[in-house]
Amino acid sequence: MPFQILINVFLAVLWMFLQNEYTVVSFISGYVIGVLILFIIRRFLKFDFYLNRVWAIVKLIYLFTVELIKANIDVVKVVLKPKQDHQPGIIAVRTRLESDFEISLLAALITLTPGTVSMDFSADNKTIYVHAIDVPDKEEMIKGIQNSFEKAIMEVTK
Amino acid sequence: MFDTVLIVALSALSIALLLLFIRVVKGPSTQDRILALDAIGVLLVGFIGIIMILQDTSVFSDIVLVLTILGFVGTLSLSKFLERGVVIEHDD
Amino acid sequence: MNTMIDTIVAIFVILGVFFAVVSAIGIVRLKDVYSRAHASGKSATLGVVFIMLAVFIHFLSQGVMNAKILLAILFLFLTAPVASLMITRSAYRNGVRLEKNTITDDLKEMYEQDSKQSK
Repeated sequence: MPFQILINVFLAVLWMFLQNEYTVVSFISGYVIGVLILFIIRRFLKFDFYLNRVWAIVKLIYLFTVELIKANIDVVKVVLKPKQDHQPGIIAVRTRLESDFEISLLAALITLTPGTVSMDFSADNKTIYVHAIDVPDKEEMIKGIQNSFEKAIMEVTK
Repeated sequence: MFDTVLIVALSALSIALLLLFIRVVKGPSTQDRILALDAIGVLLVGFIGIIMILQDTSVFSDIVLVLTILGFVGTLSLSKFLERGVVIEHDD
Repeated sequence: MNTMIDTIVAIFVILGVFFAVVSAIGIVRLKDVYSRAHASGKSATLGVVFIMLAVFIHFLSQGVMNAKILLAILFLFLTAPVASLMITRSAYRNGVRLEKNTITDDLKEMYEQDSKQSK
């Protein structure tokens, strides 16, 4: 993957020289053209096309933004409800992620998404304890976290 | 018109800061106070941001950065200090 | 053109201030530390991020690319979850009570096992 980025930067610099125009704009357009060339010749490369991973990161960021907006609408609803009758609870979520970086990323994402704040880790770093502001269905909540974020993170760092 | 909106926003933020201050004074546990102080730090960043638009100057951008990081470090060290040395205990 | 950008900036500022005020009300109204962490960790952060985006757009319309503001947004996103995790964890370990209509508490079992093993 670093090799491909190097090729891409090289193509961008080449484009800049050919244009005889040393600005950020021409560098960026050269970079875009380099990406297109790499995309066309992607079958002859030894490694995976690195934009696949970039695309996974973009998808993760998109998912995160949507969930963040939803989370805030959720908080607004809970806070401004005239009667405070929500039922909070602490639930344990087991994860299949392995490295420390992935687990801390998952914990940070859980905190910024609807109705959940990550509180603590178990001793073997395999279980995240999550405080949820409203627990109508425990199993469904655990499944929701495992299906959306865990999958997206796995796609990025596999 | 635009300035009026910004000034109204500043007054609303001041009210929010006042509410948080109530929680700092009242808060049953120390963690409540830390939480409210952390939120005050975050809201102050927004306050300075609106003042930047109002006065049309970007000299405060360094202050915004430093305030963000200092608030974070303060919160972290306070809660770490409360946590350390305490044996895990449950006395209900 | 100028009024349009001003309108966009004003909308962002209003949204941000709305979320900030809601988080302040939440911190006053909700009943225990853990619920208050929801209000401060999510709403306050998003509110201030909206305000910072408004500042960024305002200076961008004058042709100034102020990257420090973007850095501030990045720091806010990085630090908010860690801060709320540390506060709730220290609250739980110091034995701050959960609200009375809490239904499940999985964390308690973990600590009970832990203290049994250490004995």
